[in-house]
Amino acid sequence: MLELRNLCFQYPDQSEEWRFHFSVAAGHCLAVRGASGTGKSTLLNLVAGFRAPKSGEILWNNQAIHNLPAWERPVTSVFQEHNLFEHLDVFTNIGLGLHPGMKLSPEQKSAIEQGLEQTGLGGFGARLPGELSGGQRQRAALLRAILRRKPVLLLDEPMTGLDPDARAIIRDLLVQEKASGITLILASHDEEDRKILADSNWNL
Amino acid sequence: MAANQPQPLRPAPFSAPAWQLAPGLIIALALIGLVLLGLGALLHTAGTLEFEELWQSRYLRGVVWFTVWQAVLSVFLSLLIALPVAMTLARLSHFPGRSLLLRLMELSLVLPTIVAVSGIIGVYGRQGWLTSLLNGWLPDHGWSLYGLNGILLAHVFFNAPLAARILLQALESVPAPRLRVASQLGLSGWWLWRTVRWPALRPVLPGVSALVFTLCFTSFAIIMTLGGGPRATTLEVAIYQALRFEFDFGQAAILATIQLVICGSLWWLVFRKRLESSLLPDRRFAEPVSLKDSPGQGLGRVLLLGIFSAFLTLPLLAIALRGLPALWPASPMPSIYGQLLPATGRSLLIAVPAGLGAVVASLFTLAAANKSGNRILAAIPVTTGYLPLIVPPLVLGTGLFLLLRPQLGNGAQGWVLVSLINGLMAIPFVLQVLRGPLNAIDKNTLNQADQLGILGWYRWRWLYWPRLRRPIALGLAYGIALSLGDFGVIALFGSPGQPTLPVLLYQQLGSYRISEAAGTGLWLLVLLVTLFALLSRVARPAPGTNTEPAPAAAPEPRHA
Repeated sequence: MLELRNLCFQYPDQSEEWRFHFSVAAGHCLAVRGASGTGKSTLLNLVAGFRAPKSGEILWNNQAIHNLPAWERPVTSVFQEHNLFEHLDVFTNIGLGLHPGMKLSPEQKSAIEQGLEQTGLGGFGARLPGELSGGQRQRAALLRAILRRKPVLLLDEPMTGLDPDARAIIRDLLVQEKASGITLILASHDEEDRKILADSNWNL
Repeated sequence: MAANQPQPLRPAPFSAPAWQLAPGLIIALALIGLVLLGLGALLHTAGTLEFEELWQSRYLRGVVWFTVWQAVLSVFLSLLIALPVAMTLARLSHFPGRSLLLRLMELSLVLPTIVAVSGIIGVYGRQGWLTSLLNGWLPDHGWSLYGLNGILLAHVFFNAPLAARILLQALESVPAPRLRVASQLGLSGWWLWRTVRWPALRPVLPGVSALVFTLCFTSFAIIMTLGGGPRATTLEVAIYQALRFEFDFGQAAILATIQLVICGSLWWLVFRKRLESSLLPDRRFAEPVSLKDSPGQGLGRVLLLGIFSAFLTLPLLAIALRGLPALWPASPMPSIYGQLLPATGRSLLIAVPAGLGAVVASLFTLAAANKSGNRILAAIPVTTGYLPLIVPPLVLGTGLFLLLRPQLGNGAQGWVLVSLINGLMAIPFVLQVLRGPLNAIDKNTLNQADQLGILGWYRWRWLYWPRLRRPIALGLAYGIALSLGDFGVIALFGSPGQPTLPVLLYQQLGSYRISEAAGTGLWLLVLLVTLFALLSRVARPAPGTNTEPAPAAAPEPRHA
């Protein structure tokens, strides 16, 4: 279970303070709702460790994780865009998620190839992200997130701006992940996304 | 989906924060220490003399006055040319030959002064092309290259393209939406200048002016060759004469101190205004936006760029055309190579370590500057980048010369020092090349790398190296080239019997062996071109990686 206890955040030059307090059970999906500028991304960045809270705690299975550096937290983020390193090909982008120095075992390599096939990206491993469509890039990003096998997925508008087919593919992948016990936090504007994926809502 | 067990976390090699901080700090402190040592020796020698008495000397006052005066004029003239050229180039973002012209403008940064001078003599000198033309039209024009004319001409030749290049970068960093708004409103002329151009240029102008001033203030080879007498002597030349001919170490020390005070206070002013970052703007990709034209501007632009290109090309052409017969005469093995080849070997022996050192020092320095949260700690590596501007190489050389004079027995020790000072001298330029690409990696990318645990060595290998290999090769080429063309420090420490290429060229110019000089100039030029071509080949991106951001990664996200 992921728990946020009185997590408090404030931008250095702003008086407004944000406070988050909720929990998500393993294998559940929490949708975060709110207009833009209400702190959806900030919340996800706090959980990922990209920003430091002023006070409060983040717990995963009753262990405090808010003091861990980003690379030791049990989470993977997928943003609306710029998820991939533009100067590296798709295979390397995904491989770096499995080992940060690309020291991959043969099993891991074949897992990546297999994953690419399953997400309709077979043969795209050697392409650069810039050569793919938005939907293909997003599938590659999600594949990397999934292959990392971290128990929490932080999704920041992952389907916004994609065409309906691409949305459907990504939704299916997320539903599968949820079924396999992964916890999701989803920030999304889209009513339908939330209806299909979310088990509960948190309003900002 | 295939199951992959999460791997046990093993930290990436060299991922401890100290690896980013310590080497840069140590290198920076060592270099600062070296400079302080040189300055200490200088002040120690100068301190025993009567400043007042020497200040009374008309000669000294004349030297200081002339040094400042020619530098101010050079800055003014360089900017006068650089501003319209930069604005025209910003306006015309696509025309055949544009990138060639930009290359040419960058070349002036690494073109050895002594080579350029020989080219300038070939065009504007007594027997030069333009002078001969002028002789035909106006028999008593009274033009003479030697003296202030030649100094200014050579300074503008070097610094106008450099300034234009930096200003152009500033102009190109204007966000595309702002340009589009200007385009939609149909702004042109004064209002375009006020809303778009001036806000972009203002932050870089003081830095550019200071840079050009420093370069002209401390220029040595140009004054040596084109000064033409004691009336046009600058501090650097006076220092050299005091050290090498009059053996008046006290006077050299005082002159070097004066130079230090002037350059130092100038950069202190620039620093205080926090302009350090704006001197070296990041390079971004400008999307062409068409702006409203006033009638007749098109022709003016073509004319301006045409004249500017000719101004840059003619001296190079003169070197090539005059040098070729010397290098490629009828006899199978011309005698010129007897001197040329050993000089080349000596030059490379000094320049290659200097270039490598400058790149390594710059990389570690940048890493340390980015890493340290502490303001004072961060200032140490940043200072290294500006040391050579505050403490000109010849001043530093003078200090170290005074310090080591008794021990400086053989040439080899002198060469090590020359290589070291040359490397230090190159650091600001190498930093300029590396800083932009290094800092261009956005926060989002770094966040993701953090999340994936791409730290330390892995971060370097997968994030920085693919993007930096080309800038690194370019920086290395700059570093080597600057040292290859060095004529100041080597004049101090080298021995005339064992010349490097620039010293050989100077000797040939001095003894009126003009065709041999042209041959040496061309040889050095070819060497530089080869160096750049070779290093840019080496730096070609490996398959599967791309150092240029792909179109989809342009600053503005394109929504599907």
